[in-house]
Amino acid sequence: MNLINSVDAFRLRALIVVLATMLLIGLSSRSSHAQFLHPKITSKETTVRTVVVLPAKVNVVRDSMKGPEGMAAESDDLSSRVEKLVTEVLSKQKQVTTLSPQAAASSQGESQTNYNVADFQTKFDVLLPKIMKKRSDVKKGRFTMGDEVLNLNLEKTTDAIVFIRGEGKKLTGGKTAFTLLVGGVPAYLKLQIGIVDARTGDVLLYTDPLFGGDPTTAVDRLRKALEKGFKKLPAAPAKP
Amino acid sequence: MAFTSFCPPALAQKKKAPVEATAPPVREEFKFGDIDLDILEQSNLLDSKLERDGLVLHDETANAYVRHIGQSLVPKGLELERVSWNFRVLRDPQPNAFALPNGSVYITTGLIFLVDNESQLAAIIAHELTHVMRRHTYVQNRSNRKKFLTMNIMTAVGAYAPGGIAGAVIIVVTTVAPFILMATIYGYSQDLEREADLKGVDMMISAEYSPEEMVNVMKLLDQDIEGENIRLFYNDHPSLDERIKYLSSYLGARADRVTHQMELNRERAAYFKIMEPVMRHDLQLSIGAGRFRSAVFLAQRLVDFHPDSENLFWLAEAYRTLGPRSPELTDKEQTNSAKKDAAKKRQKRTAEEEERELLATPAGKDNWQKHQQKAEELYARALNAENPVPVIHRGMGMLYEKLGRANDAATEYEKYIELAPTAIDRERIKRRIEALRRPQI
Repeated sequence: MNLINSVDAFRLRALIVVLATMLLIGLSSRSSHAQFLHPKITSKETTVRTVVVLPAKVNVVRDSMKGPEGMAAESDDLSSRVEKLVTEVLSKQKQVTTLSPQAAASSQGESQTNYNVADFQTKFDVLLPKIMKKRSDVKKGRFTMGDEVLNLNLEKTTDAIVFIRGEGKKLTGGKTAFTLLVGGVPAYLKLQIGIVDARTGDVLLYTDPLFGGDPTTAVDRLRKALEKGFKKLPAAPAKP
Repeated sequence: MAFTSFCPPALAQKKKAPVEATAPPVREEFKFGDIDLDILEQSNLLDSKLERDGLVLHDETANAYVRHIGQSLVPKGLELERVSWNFRVLRDPQPNAFALPNGSVYITTGLIFLVDNESQLAAIIAHELTHVMRRHTYVQNRSNRKKFLTMNIMTAVGAYAPGGIAGAVIIVVTTVAPFILMATIYGYSQDLEREADLKGVDMMISAEYSPEEMVNVMKLLDQDIEGENIRLFYNDHPSLDERIKYLSSYLGARADRVTHQMELNRERAAYFKIMEPVMRHDLQLSIGAGRFRSAVFLAQRLVDFHPDSENLFWLAEAYRTLGPRSPELTDKEQTNSAKKDAAKKRQKRTAEEEERELLATPAGKDNWQKHQQKAEELYARALNAENPVPVIHRGMGMLYEKLGRANDAATEYEKYIELAPTAIDRERIKRRIEALRRPQI
C-alpha cells in the first residue's frame, strides 16, 4: 500500500514539475516579445536615426551543485558580444547608425568622462526596477532620466542612448542533470534594454529579450532574441 | 606621494610609547585549493571592472591617504601568499567598505564622509584587513558550497520523498530547510564579522590608533538617515547594537586607551582638511542618487567645519533638492515596517512622483517652502564667501525655475554660462535658457 502511494506521489510530483517547466517556457516565449514604446515613437513625433550604445552590463553565473560561481571574464566577453549584436541588429534591421560615446566626448578629461558615463549608468540602474515594476507605463511616457542626459555631451546628431543590462545562468553538467531530474531554472539569458531620448531623457523603448540555453556561447540565438526584442521599433526613414 | 606631505600634525603628536603588540591575525594553516584560486581570479577581474566602470575615485591625495592608513595597520614585514595590498576610494554615496581576498580594500566616499577622523577610518580598514588576513572569503565560500550541496541534496530528497506521513515531513523540512541553512550561512558569517571587529581592535592598538574609535564608528554607522537599514530574517553582520556592546566590553578589558577629546578634535580637523574635496564629490553623488537627507546632514557637517566657503553652495543644493521631504525621518518612519513600506515605494515611484505626492500634503508644502527659502539664503551667502564658484548661479537658476520665476532663472543661468563657458552642462543650461526666454503663448 505504501509502495503504491509512493509511486503515485512520485508521478504526481513529476507531472507538476513538467507542467511548471512548460508554463515557464510558455511565459518565457511570451516575454521575449514584450516591448514597450513611448507615445512619441508610436506617433512618429520622434525618430531614432542615430544612437550611442553605452557599455553593456551583462552578468552570468555558473550554477553548480555547490552553488553559484562568478564568471567575470565570461561576463565581460558576453557584454561586448551583446553590445556588438545590438549595434548590428539596429543597423541592419532598423537602419540606425551607432556612434561611439568616447568619440563624442568633448573637452572633458578622461576621468571626468568615465565618471559621467558611470553616473548615467547608475541613474539607469536606479530607474530600471521602476520600469520593470510596470513596463507598460513606458507607453504612457512615465519614465525619464531628465535633461541631465545632455551632460554626456554626445554628438549633436545623437537621437538616443542605448542602455543594456542582462543576467544569465550557465549550468554545470551535474546541475544540468539535477535540473532535468528534479526540476529548476534551466540555463538562460535575460536582457533589459532601454532606449533613452538623448535630448529629453525620456525612455523611448524598453524591451527584455529572453532565451534559454548556455548564454556564454550563444550568437544566433542571441541575435534572434534581439531581432524580436526590437521588432516594434520603427525603422529609421532614409535621410532626405 | 610621500606620507609626510599630507601627514596631519595630530598624528605626529599622537604617537606614544609602543603598547602591547598582538600577533598578526594571520591564518597560517591556510592552503589554496582550485576553488580558492578561482575566487582569487574573480577578485582580480573585479578590481579591473571597478576601475573600468568609472567607480574608482581618481583623487591621488585621498587614495594616498587611505593607502597610508592601510599600510600603517598591516604588521611590518608581513608577507601573505597571493595578497597584494591595495587601498582605493570608491565613488559611492552609500557608507560601505569591503575587502577582496587578493588584498584590495575599498572604502566608499559615503563612508569617508560619515566618519569623523582618521582613527575611525583606520577602524574600518583594520576590520577589512582582518577579513583578508584570516582568509575569510575563502573560508566562507568553502562553507557556503558545502551548504549549497546539502540544500540541493535536500531538494532532491524532497522531490523523491515517499508518500504518506514520512514524505510530507520531508517535504516540509526541505521547504523550510533552505532558509534554516541560509540562516546558518549568515550566522557563520556573523562569527567572522565578530572576529574581524575584535582582531581589528588589536590591529588598531598595534598601529597606535585610538581603539575606542571602533565603537564610535559603529555608533555613526547606526545612524539611519535614509531609513535603509531594514532588519531581515538574516543579516550578514551582527546588529550594530550587539557590536557596540561586545566591542565596549572587549575594550574595557584592555584598559586606559581612551584618547583625550582635544587630540581627537585635532585629528578630526586634519582629517576634514584632507578629505574636503572627496566629501564635496560625495555630496554630488548623494544628490544624484536621491539621498537628499544624507546630503543635508553631511553638507551641514562640511559647513560647520569650513563655513565661509564653497561648502555653503553644497548645503544650498542639498536643501533645494530635499524639496518637500522632511530633513529627518520621524520615529514612526524609523520603525522596521515603515522602512519596509518605504523601500517598496522606492522600487515603484520615481523621485518626481514622490515629490508630487508630498507636495499634495500640507506638511510637504510647508517643507518645500522652508527648504527653498533656506536654499536661497544659502546661495546668497555662498556668493559672498571666499572664491565663489560659478555653479552657485546654476543652483539659483534651478531654484527660480522651480519657483516659476522664469526671468530670474534665465538671468542666473546666463551668468553661469558666462562665468563657466566650458562647463560640462553648458548645452543643458543653454536649452533651459532658450525655453525660459521663449515667449509664452
